[in-house]
Amino acid sequence: MIAKAAGTLAVAALVALPPLLPKYHLEVLISVLFWAYLGIAWNLLGGYAGQFSFGHAAFFGIGAYTSTLLLLQVGLTPWVGMVLGGGLAAAFGLFEGYLSFRYGLKGPYFSLVTLAFAEMLRVVGVNTKAVGSSLGLVVPSAKAAPAMFMFSGKLPYYYIILAMGALALALTWKIGRSRLGFSLAAVRENEDAAETAGVDALATKLRAMALSSFLTALGGTFYAQYFAYIDPTISFGPSVSIGALLPAIVGGAGTVLGPVLGSFVLTPLSEVTRYALRGRAGADIMLYGAILVLVISFLPQGIVGLVRDRRARAGRQ
Amino acid sequence: MTWGLLLQAVVSGLLLGGVYGLVASGLSLIFGVLRIINFAHGAVMMLAMYTTYWLFALAGVDPYLSVILTAPLFFALGVVIQKVVIEPNRSAAEHNQLLLTLGLALFFENLALVLWQGDFRTVRVAYSNASFMVGEALVEVPRLVASGGAVLMAVGLFAFLRLTDVGKALRALAEEPEGAALVGINVARIRAASFGLGSACVAVAGALITPFFYVAPDVGESFNIMAFVVVVLGGMGNFMGALAGGFIVGLAESLGAAFLPGSLKQLVVFMIFVLVLLFRPQGLFGGSRDR
Amino acid sequence: MSEHIRRLSGGPVSRRTFLATAGAVATVAGFPAIARAQAREVKVGYLLPVTGPLAYEAGLALNGLTLAVDEINASGGIKSLGGAKITMMPGDTQNKVELGNSEASRLIDQGAVAIIGTFSSLVAFSVRQVTEKNRTPFLLLACVADNLTEGGLKYTFRMQPNGKGMATLTVNNMFEMAKDANVPIKRVAMMHEDGNFGTTMGNHVEAFSKTMGYELVQRIPYNLRSPDLTSELAKVKAARPDLLIISGYYGDSKIIAETAAKLRIGVSALVGLANAAYSNPKFIAENRELTEHLFDGNYWYNPQSARARAVFDAYQKKFGSTMANHGVQGYQVTFVLKDALERAASTDRDKIRDAIAKTNLSDQILTQDAIRFDDTGEGINATPALIQVQNGKPVVVGPARFAEAKPVFPVPKWKG
Repeated sequence: MIAKAAGTLAVAALVALPPLLPKYHLEVLISVLFWAYLGIAWNLLGGYAGQFSFGHAAFFGIGAYTSTLLLLQVGLTPWVGMVLGGGLAAAFGLFEGYLSFRYGLKGPYFSLVTLAFAEMLRVVGVNTKAVGSSLGLVVPSAKAAPAMFMFSGKLPYYYIILAMGALALALTWKIGRSRLGFSLAAVRENEDAAETAGVDALATKLRAMALSSFLTALGGTFYAQYFAYIDPTISFGPSVSIGALLPAIVGGAGTVLGPVLGSFVLTPLSEVTRYALRGRAGADIMLYGAILVLVISFLPQGIVGLVRDRRARAGRQ
Repeated sequence: MTWGLLLQAVVSGLLLGGVYGLVASGLSLIFGVLRIINFAHGAVMMLAMYTTYWLFALAGVDPYLSVILTAPLFFALGVVIQKVVIEPNRSAAEHNQLLLTLGLALFFENLALVLWQGDFRTVRVAYSNASFMVGEALVEVPRLVASGGAVLMAVGLFAFLRLTDVGKALRALAEEPEGAALVGINVARIRAASFGLGSACVAVAGALITPFFYVAPDVGESFNIMAFVVVVLGGMGNFMGALAGGFIVGLAESLGAAFLPGSLKQLVVFMIFVLVLLFRPQGLFGGSRDR
Repeated sequence: MSEHIRRLSGGPVSRRTFLATAGAVATVAGFPAIARAQAREVKVGYLLPVTGPLAYEAGLALNGLTLAVDEINASGGIKSLGGAKITMMPGDTQNKVELGNSEASRLIDQGAVAIIGTFSSLVAFSVRQVTEKNRTPFLLLACVADNLTEGGLKYTFRMQPNGKGMATLTVNNMFEMAKDANVPIKRVAMMHEDGNFGTTMGNHVEAFSKTMGYELVQRIPYNLRSPDLTSELAKVKAARPDLLIISGYYGDSKIIAETAAKLRIGVSALVGLANAAYSNPKFIAENRELTEHLFDGNYWYNPQSARARAVFDAYQKKFGSTMANHGVQGYQVTFVLKDALERAASTDRDKIRDAIAKTNLSDQILTQDAIRFDDTGEGINATPALIQVQNGKPVVVGPARFAEAKPVFPVPKWKG
């Protein structure tokens, strides 16, 4: 009951408060929601299906570059380009996933392969003049044009990422309760047993991969439009790959709210540490690394896992 | 395409590969016994390189001789890391262990940045610039020494694992973890020792590299990914395989640089990586345990 | 990975400081405004990667800035503002985009009438949005990306040569020198790091080949983390170029010069293009034999100008080191601002902006004619100097009217 009330309050605040927020608070909140969104997308494959991808930037970058190139070269609105980018990313994800799963890659081997694919895309991007190589692509942003996913001011972007996050969250929740969700859980816990029970592990994992990569690509387009500049390192580099999985891990992989909680903790935390430790470059990330080690050591199920443990213990008493 | 270019590519590739093999041998050992992918490997090497640098800058210790000091020091560091961070999380999910080492890597790299800032430092010794020609191909002496060190290290580790008690215990643990405990091996100690040994190996690698490579907080990154590729190629836990894998990766990179446009040589290495992972995940030469 | 990971902690989104109160506590260098009738202070903010991987270079630029501010204040401040002194407000970007943004916002909120920075073009891309929105003049320091002044922005100015100017004018300078030495340059090879900086330079050198009539026989981008570039240099050698141009950072440029020397690469000269190492006094001091006779096309002070020489000496005295490209920039860009402030006679940012746009400053220490800006904010007369290391000192050998020494060309030791 308390949880429900708190949840409703939180949602109301997220919807109603932003127009009242000072500029920098709004920016931080957009950031929190952005990483939460990417975390939710990653979670479908990494948490629910248990396939730990270290290279989600591949899909992010495909989304960002597809919509931006279509915009710059054919004048296609990013609203449509976004969907096309998602489709392309899903296709790439299926390709990558099929190869990996068909050849039985699991655990860290799968992680390494995904890392390799993202890096390969980055190298190709750097060496391809047609996509701007390292000079990147500048997204026009001078004038507001809502039909072209361009807005003046930050508020519209906030509501867009809020809506994207809400939809992704709803999708995750729905899947969790569906047949696919049960298949995913079975595959995650014990793939061989699942197969014996009649679950098509390959198809299940591929479905998760397609959804996860599609959603991640949409995030890439959002980034391109919000930041108005992309290059191969931003789009395909490890910072997106790792940034996408950390909220889910810290918040609780394989749970609906995990990535959201994780981002609400991690993003402001890095902001505060960076501010508190400025003037000594590296000190903030040193602390960040230490915190990561601590979280993994003491909260292996993430925040959600901690809450569940507490509840279970309380229930036993 | 000239023969001279080909010859140079092969020679540099072998020399580079030796360096990669040298760096990867410790990683291979760690993976073979502990089954964790150690993202902090490059960062530990970086710390060893700084240690080598400071010993040289402050006390004039020659980098090659300094291994007498750095190897035991980093063995100890490795043991501490394993006991404090990794052992308590031994039964955690594999990806969590990966993230643990990632957190360590971030911590160490930025510790170096905070302590010593980002400027490049170099160790200049008399032989830093020594080189000779083999036909039209350039051979740089410090790289040759590093490659020689790689071979010595591989042979040394091989012998150590065959002939000493600790070594045999390590092998036992790698091949048969439950059996090892049953026959009375102190598995916790051996696990700590293996991480320590892997760290000592990468420290030696760092010392051998400083005469020809700059020292900076992010220097480990130039070698980290390559080390993973080499270990996968050679078979996890197989450090003779890692040596061979190193040569293969070095050659691939160098030939890629000679015959591909742009900076696409990186692509060649990654493609080999993916192909091996897909079609021969136990490595070209088989690992200490089948995957 | 660590560069990427450095950015990961904050994500790619521009942010402000999270705690509102923290802004008030932020370090602000300077004297409190003295409540007297006439004397005021003019606050100017700088955004530099003071800590982090570029700390050393940023420190050099900061030295130049400090030297200039001290000189201005000691000689009576801004006279048209009643002797108001300039107060420099520090901003540390750590070379990160999001910090650049938040620091820019903070400095503007705290009253900076102009911002100087940011070294990295990537950070500058973002900062210029902030400064444009807040109608605050933004004077670029060391950023080469050409499109920084594109897009119809009114508040961004670049005193130094942009990427195109750097590349084309340096090539021009080399050709002039070669003509004087009667050594034809027909074949040019270029190696550059494969990021934004290197690729910009590479594109220009390639595009310029038709105009200048040379053949770009090899263009090799490389990843700056590469531990070995021997194959790449063997490729260069095989193409038999007359000139090898290198746009790189410190570590990679060092490896290239070393390997090229050992391979006996066979060019008439090794030329840095806005190279981080080849005219860098620290690099030269640590690599005497290697750096002798290296060329670099870079921004520099004018050795023919008495004022420049005096500034050089003052810098040496104050900081105990040789003034090089970044120090020169830091110093001169401050004086551009000072000149604009004098003419604007106001701390109103729009008036200052208009004054900057009308700059026509001949009393300056750069190797160029008067400092003037076109209507995109690009410096019209910006000219890089051609520098060569001679006897362990970087000296200006071109353009001819600024030269302080004759170039050694062709360079015997690079010939096969």
